Amino acid sequence: MSAQGDCEFLVKRARELVQEDLWAAKAWLITARSLYPADFNIQYEMYTIERNAERTASAGRLLYDMFVNFPDQPVVWREISVITSALRNDSQDNKQTQFLRGLFETLPGRVQCEMLLKATEQCFNTLERAEMLLLLLKRFPETVVQHGVSLGETLLEAESIEDQESSVNCFRKLFVCDVLPLIINNPDVRLPASLLYKYLNKAAEFYINYVTRSPQTETQHQGSQDTSDLMSPSKRSSQKYIIEGLTEKSSQIVDPWDRLFKILSVVGMRCEWQMDKGTRNFVDVLHRMKDLCRYISNFENEAHAKYRNQVVYSVLLVFFKNAFQYVSGIQPSLFQGPNAPSQVPLVLLEDASNAYVDVEIERNKHIHKKRKLAETREKTMSSDDEECSGKGRNRHILINKKELPNSVELLESFKFAKESWELLHSVESLDKEFTRICMLWKTDTWLWLRIFLTDMIIYQGQYKKAVTSLHHLAVLQGSHSPQQVLGQGSLEQHRALIQLASCHYALGEYRVTCEKVLDLMCYMSPPTQDGVKAQEEPPKVKSKFRKGFDQKLLPCTNKAVMPYCFQLLLACFKLRAFTDNRDDMALGHVIVLLQHEWPRGENLFLKAVNKICQQGNFQYENFFNYVTNIDMLEEFAYLRTQEGGKIHLELLPNQGILIKNSSPPMGLLQQEFIPVLQPSIQPADRHHTVTRGITKGVKEDFRLAMERQVSRCGENLMVVLHHFCINEKILLLQTLT
Amino acid sequence: MSDIRHSLLRRDALSAAKEVLYHLDIYLSSQLQNASLSVGDKGCTDLLEEFILQVPKERNCQPKRLNSLQELQLLEIMCNYFQEQSKDSVRQVMFSTIFSPQGNKADDSRITLLGKLVSMAVAVCRVPVLECAATWLQRTPAVYCVRLARTLVEDYCSLLPGSIHMLKQIFSTSSRFCCQFITAVTALYDLSSDDLIPPNDLLETVVSWIFEDPRLILIIFLNTPITANLPIGFLELTSITGLIRWCVKAPLAYKRRKKSSLANGATGTKMGKENALGVDNDCHTLYSKLHLSVLQVLILLQVHLTEKNLFGRLGLVLFDHVVSLVEEINRLSEELNPLNVAQEMELSLDRLAQALQVAMASGALLCSRENLRTVCSRLPHNNLLQLVISGPVQQPSHAALPPGFYPHIHTPPLAYPGLPAHPVQTFIPGMTFPYRPIH
Repeated sequence: MSAQGDCEFLVKRARELVQEDLWAAKAWLITARSLYPADFNIQYEMYTIERNAERTASAGRLLYDMFVNFPDQPVVWREISVITSALRNDSQDNKQTQFLRGLFETLPGRVQCEMLLKATEQCFNTLERAEMLLLLLKRFPETVVQHGVSLGETLLEAESIEDQESSVNCFRKLFVCDVLPLIINNPDVRLPASLLYKYLNKAAEFYINYVTRSPQTETQHQGSQDTSDLMSPSKRSSQKYIIEGLTEKSSQIVDPWDRLFKILSVVGMRCEWQMDKGTRNFVDVLHRMKDLCRYISNFENEAHAKYRNQVVYSVLLVFFKNAFQYVSGIQPSLFQGPNAPSQVPLVLLEDASNAYVDVEIERNKHIHKKRKLAETREKTMSSDDEECSGKGRNRHILINKKELPNSVELLESFKFAKESWELLHSVESLDKEFTRICMLWKTDTWLWLRIFLTDMIIYQGQYKKAVTSLHHLAVLQGSHSPQQVLGQGSLEQHRALIQLASCHYALGEYRVTCEKVLDLMCYMSPPTQDGVKAQEEPPKVKSKFRKGFDQKLLPCTNKAVMPYCFQLLLACFKLRAFTDNRDDMALGHVIVLLQHEWPRGENLFLKAVNKICQQGNFQYENFFNYVTNIDMLEEFAYLRTQEGGKIHLELLPNQGILIKNSSPPMGLLQQEFIPVLQPSIQPADRHHTVTRGITKGVKEDFRLAMERQVSRCGENLMVVLHHFCINEKILLLQTLT
Repeated sequence: MSDIRHSLLRRDALSAAKEVLYHLDIYLSSQLQNASLSVGDKGCTDLLEEFILQVPKERNCQPKRLNSLQELQLLEIMCNYFQEQSKDSVRQVMFSTIFSPQGNKADDSRITLLGKLVSMAVAVCRVPVLECAATWLQRTPAVYCVRLARTLVEDYCSLLPGSIHMLKQIFSTSSRFCCQFITAVTALYDLSSDDLIPPNDLLETVVSWIFEDPRLILIIFLNTPITANLPIGFLELTSITGLIRWCVKAPLAYKRRKKSSLANGATGTKMGKENALGVDNDCHTLYSKLHLSVLQVLILLQVHLTEKNLFGRLGLVLFDHVVSLVEEINRLSEELNPLNVAQEMELSLDRLAQALQVAMASGALLCSRENLRTVCSRLPHNNLLQLVISGPVQQPSHAALPPGFYPHIHTPPLAYPGLPAHPVQTFIPGMTFPYRPIH
């Protein structure tokens, strides 16, 4: 019998016995091994028995034997790669995986090290190779010196070779979250400062992009959202998010900001920055950097570069963190999946509550000043930044703390982000470096950042610049096309439009304001509840503090934005209505709009009535379509009486047929609005009134119309005004031409 | 001395025994301190034999006999004495003075009393008594050791069913005693007749011990200074040979017992047959497990022999024993009709072949394959045995290993701090060990 034949015979007998008498099978194999210690199959069979029985210690021993005695057997390598992949696998529930890990743990450390290194050598997939090396580095810190930096560089290289679109990719994740901490926390690894800055830059880019990733990438990688997500609402980490190439678990990063600040502090320590011992929060960091900024120009060359880097990276992180916090507060859907509990989006707008204020007082003060300001800005766009930001310091934002409990922190974040931004631009060298980093990261493509910057510009009162920024924003939003699908029907995606209207208003560009508002109206539907007013802030409080505020943070909902739109419209028409030139149309619009929040605009209404009295007559054919306010109706009924001054009122549609004709033909109006139109403008009725003549019938028609209007008093005013905006869009715009 | 004897004669038996024990303790202690270990005072041993072992001194002078209760009390006193005697040497000397056979007429009652004492110590976990008994088993001719073993087996396996668990715990109370006990029972039960098949409880107990820790049976070997010539007539250093005998002969011996019991019609009922079958099946598994454990012990042994620099110099499995084992198999084979026991014979010879091979490879059995061929020539044919006798086909030897040497990685975590003299790569899971580069 040949040796080969003997071994086959022995293994065969053992194999036959495994089922019926395991002990005997093992005895056969022990004998066989003692006869042929150099035969691989005998030992592999022994290993297989122990492995199948999941006995970690004995299987480990046998694997070790094979690893030592048969280092070239492909079967051993297959086994080792199964084990190492079990080590990389992070699912805990798999019994087999757990066994293999336990098996590995029974091996002596140096053998583990050797195994991992050899397994790495045999691995040709960059990602797997990196994960394998990582296992090694984590277990055996002494290997970091030799393999750490090269692994890091390999990962960064792989990222560019594989043409990763996003900086949130598997290679970068491994580098930033796993390799980098090992490298920079290992005292035996010496790195030049330039490399440390490069790594810090990569880490910052990764974490910021990770935190601010948009939710649609999440839905791409997973079929359906688990309902279990609803169990832990406000936590983003509960959402499944998978970085391509990684498992779900390793795609989750807990406390990304903390990790990033940790890296910052370690890098700072290694680069010998001016640091305090002990943990500091970012507010402290910001203050400290402000101090450092004051004397940064005293340093030269290397020291200057060092402290410049310290300031830039420290402040940059504070900036992005706070800007992100602000944006995630005002537009949560940007970062949350569709199933996440909806937080109310917010929008920063120019305060327009002075629309109700008497035009005389205002005309001289506010608007002109603003116009002037805008004009000067246009001329000296760059140099006025300083002045404006200086001015901005005194600005106030109105918030409703009760309705928006998180708004205080939100404004804190906003403030810190703004201060950081200003600090980064306060010194040329900082500005240059910061701009370089932004270019590198392509921050101009970050929608969320654009949102923050726009709000900051609005806050600073640089409305011309804000308008440009908003157009930029719209372009970015367009490129985020899935977002549009996602947020369809919600007002949130028209945030930019609202702000645009607000900015044009602040610039005194009323026609454009009106145009934007009317565009916006098409996307809105009036809130259905009648309790709109009841839920609003009491006007008293508003007027009490009103003068102190320049801007306000409104919930970006129909309920909150629609009233704001009416205010804007009112403010636009108010000026024209009360000029010395007679403009009945504008005055009519104002009266319609004054119904909103009645009796807040009572003064203004009385002023309008005054003007009508002075004119002696008034023509506004939409009156009966849109005025349902009982006080107003009474007033107008009174005006026609002897006591009221016998004012000649042409409020019925037929009286101004010529004007009517210039308004859009019915066909252009959308079908859905037709039922709202009053019978008086339906064709048959129109014919009827035309043949009636003016003298006698008018009186009767007016009375009937009045009676009918009184019965409409209970109608939802928001609906009426919304229809007013939709139906009379062209007329309204013409008025402001 | 005779004064003492006279005063003792006047007392009742128990207090006299106590008194003798007391005197003996004082006497031996002072002897140890003076370091003048004389042959032992004749008077003292006489008193011991007369008053403790109850051997009549003179024909006409019958001392007061202990009744059963008093005997129990005496045993308890002795147990407590050994328990409380803090001096190891005094305890040892006392034990051997009382229980070492003297080759006189008192030996019989000496061994009987020892049996009762150790049995009690097993029941109440008296570690010092068991430790002394372990030493006694090493220094006493095997015939007496076997008697002690038989007493314990009778007490715990036959006399009081269900008390085996008490015996089981000696594994943890005194592993030295446990180890010696196994050697003694393998010497006692050699399966040469149906009566000398180990009782099932005993078998199960021994297997459970060894399976839990195979190193158990090496404890005496590892903790005894090795002399070149092992004394004859004493228990062997390990139970390996005895256990090999159990495993190899069991299939045939059980078959023989079954046959004779059928012939006697003892298990005539269907019920009895089924029971016997079930028990035999259990036994089959137990022997299979035991056999594997023995092989594993042999592999462990290789490491220890190497460490002690005894590899190839100390045969723990004697060739003579192999010869007699083979003869016994031949005898069994003749007794039974070979046609009816083909399966059993196959298993027996497989085990024999395995034990021989592993014992040779591990250095426990020192003989050439040529010798084996001669010894085994009369055995029925068996493939594995053939393979073992002719030895492995020579092949280009493995670079890293000397032929026939398997570097096993078990290491003894026992109280044996020998430095490895041979480059054996060993490790215990969870412990670091010096890293050796692999080429």
